[in-house]
Amino acid sequence: MKRKSLRFYLRIYFRILAQDLKSKMSYRADFIISTIGMIFTNIAGFVSFWILFRNFPSINGWGYYEMLFLYGFSLVAITPVQCLFDNNWSLRMAVYSGDFIKYCFRPINIFFYYQSEVFDIKGLGQLAFGLGTLIYSWTKIGLGFTPLILLKMTVFLITASLVMIAMQNAAAATCFWIMNSFYVLDLVTRFKDYAKYPITIFSPVFRFIFTFLMPIAFIAYYPSLVILRPDEVPLLSWLSPFIGAFFFWLSYKFWMHGALKYNGTGS
Amino acid sequence: MGIIEIKNVTKEFRVLNRREGLKGSIKDLFSRNYKTVRAVDNVSMTIEQGEIVGYLGPNGAGKSTTIKMMTGVLEPTSGEILTNGIIPYENRARNAQEIGVVFGQRSQLWWALPLVESFKILKDIYQISDENYDGMIKLYSSLVDIEPLLHKPVRQMSLGQRTLSDILAAFLHDPKIVFLDEPTIGLDVSMKSKIRTLIQALNREKNTTVILTTHDMGDVDALCRRIVIIDKGKMLYDNDIEHLKSFFGSYRTLKIRTGGELKEQAESIKKELPDFPVTADDEWISVLVDEEKSKVIDVLGQLQKSHKIKDMQLEEISTEEVIKKIYEEGVA
Amino acid sequence: MKLKKYLTLTKAGIMESLQFRLGTFVMAVGNLLYLIVVYYLWKAIYASAGSDTVNGMTFSDTLIYLVLATALFNFMEMYTVWEMGRSIQSGKIVLELLKPMKYRNYLFWTYSGQFVTNFFFTFLPTFIVVAIVTHGAVHMGLNLLFFIISVIMAISLNYSINFLVGTICVYTESIWGINIMKQVIVLLLSGATIPLAFFPEPFRTITHYLPFQSIYNAPLSILLNAHPEPEELMVTLGTQLLWCIGMAVLSKLFWKVSLRQITVNGG
Repeated sequence: MKRKSLRFYLRIYFRILAQDLKSKMSYRADFIISTIGMIFTNIAGFVSFWILFRNFPSINGWGYYEMLFLYGFSLVAITPVQCLFDNNWSLRMAVYSGDFIKYCFRPINIFFYYQSEVFDIKGLGQLAFGLGTLIYSWTKIGLGFTPLILLKMTVFLITASLVMIAMQNAAAATCFWIMNSFYVLDLVTRFKDYAKYPITIFSPVFRFIFTFLMPIAFIAYYPSLVILRPDEVPLLSWLSPFIGAFFFWLSYKFWMHGALKYNGTGS
Repeated sequence: MGIIEIKNVTKEFRVLNRREGLKGSIKDLFSRNYKTVRAVDNVSMTIEQGEIVGYLGPNGAGKSTTIKMMTGVLEPTSGEILTNGIIPYENRARNAQEIGVVFGQRSQLWWALPLVESFKILKDIYQISDENYDGMIKLYSSLVDIEPLLHKPVRQMSLGQRTLSDILAAFLHDPKIVFLDEPTIGLDVSMKSKIRTLIQALNREKNTTVILTTHDMGDVDALCRRIVIIDKGKMLYDNDIEHLKSFFGSYRTLKIRTGGELKEQAESIKKELPDFPVTADDEWISVLVDEEKSKVIDVLGQLQKSHKIKDMQLEEISTEEVIKKIYEEGVA
Repeated sequence: MKLKKYLTLTKAGIMESLQFRLGTFVMAVGNLLYLIVVYYLWKAIYASAGSDTVNGMTFSDTLIYLVLATALFNFMEMYTVWEMGRSIQSGKIVLELLKPMKYRNYLFWTYSGQFVTNFFFTFLPTFIVVAIVTHGAVHMGLNLLFFIISVIMAISLNYSINFLVGTICVYTESIWGINIMKQVIVLLLSGATIPLAFFPEPFRTITHYLPFQSIYNAPLSILLNAHPEPEELMVTLGTQLLWCIGMAVLSKLFWKVSLRQITVNGG
């Protein structure tokens, strides 16, 4: 049989995605309440940020608007994982109940099929919030809107998203081995809240951990440096697109390894 | 070569031995011991294109494990499996293109959407041409009343409608093999017969190979000419269903109705005939007689001495009883 | 024996949570890393502030406060809203209502086993580490006793709030939305993410009139204050007690009213 083309996968993706949106329409109250919940989360996040840094003009040499930039950057960067990979949250239940097996019977990539099933529109609210914050801090810092900086911005936002997606994939995939992987996923989610702080506040040991083992520094810090501190960009920042792609690939392999090892529960 | 070739396949699992009680839980926290369980033990069979094979066995016999290996979800510990000439677990996606699966009561349809939407997605996934798709829908409408189903969201369907829809979805891409895992479980009598007729018709029209696991011998009688029986991972039987009955052909069931309270009577008959299995339901007392050892007429004569027999029937052994005997005693 | 039937549930809960060995381990390691992030973040904040005391709290005060707030959160979080929501939606609630005890008590005592394991696996180790690391910044005296009393009331209040919010799931399918709103509000306004002392003035006053500060802020400030004015202590504990009773009554009433909804509509 011929290898399936990108066009084939794109077509399937939008087909399955459309069904999810149609399904969501049939639960309208849930959609509205969830959206309000998401707005609440963002407002609370912003209020915490404001309360905290209102007291301190700068942290570790990072000014208020620069911190705000990091904050906005991280919000935008976690939008793809929120919107496109939200089904990772249900993986645990699917595996536990044995329903996951249905994904194994289709002649398409299991990871692709599984992730395509859910599109979380709530994430778009977060995107708007993040973009607002980003643009506000952008103008306050006075960065200017040149094509080059926008290109950099796009590339590094994608990079950051890839890292975030990779972390969530890996965390979700632990459910193929351990029973209450919810804690792992929950933990990673909590960590992403800390991605918005400059990594220089940590001691060297933890800088290493957060760069290579639990790569939250790539979600906002390293990519933002390219925009915020163009004169002192470390090599790791320039490498981050490749590192992001690598982490994503690694998490995909890990996820698939788990899925293939999975054999369904019960009879 | 058959469409499915299984040679000396064995599958082993490592399972955790959990200790009991609160103390056991704490011990488990620090050290664990595992044991190896052989779910499928040296099974071989060849299935030809177009066959309907009943794959039977008590719960936990290894049926699902075998099917998961045939569908490419599980890799056998040892032995060879070929479906359509390819090794399923090495070519899961390619294999999936040629098979359809209805697995237990887990619907593979999109829950919130009308059936036709699920069909459209499947059409894309399996790359079914418009022509084949329309042909299939036409075939379906000639077999069942599909129109009202097509536009009904799956979550609003009854269990029977859902099972029917799942079966239709499994056949949609005209697969070479369809695996049906307990397709009639929990359904009422008329729905069961509807589903059996559908499976039979699709098998006939499309020459689709069907592997059917079930606990309902009505399914077996209606659909399968050949059955394979497995228990504790080992294959017990693989042959025609008629052949199986001839094994037990010498068995007859003598059913009688007597005066007096049925339960009491059954108990006293049990005592009188210690060598014969005696069972009772709401209407009849049944005595299973091996005609090679004793004659039915003698048993009846003996019973008549002590009981007033109002009515009697003589029955050939049913598939249900044959299977039960095999599970309990093995193939003689 | 009334107590015995409750304790049986506790024991079953302990056994169940011990089954998940890896999960327990991941949780412990994860919490540790999370606390490290908190440590470095606030160290950087205090270093930038230039003074030892910010808003009346020293660095070690803030640290103890936040670390123990996290530990308390892990210890007290029961995912009640999820549990109730799922139960109501799946119809399992009907079976649970048949149990020979009130649903409110049944749910609480089913979880009590986790209180015990969480106490020993997360709270106690954290507490000991904090006490050692901060070299006696935690005063070991009568305040510990008041702290324990306060925590017990906090557990009760937290459960009442959870139960109250969980009851909303009788009316809507949006468990996620309801839960996230609750969580965001409780965590922010109770002072679990940022000590209430850091809140700017109008906010701080408002939080003092809300029940949430009795969950985290009250027990933690009791613990940190080595020599409290008896009057101040009584006010804190008294406020907690009032909220405890008030919310318990309110949540019971709301459940009673909503229960009719289930019995009428069949869940």
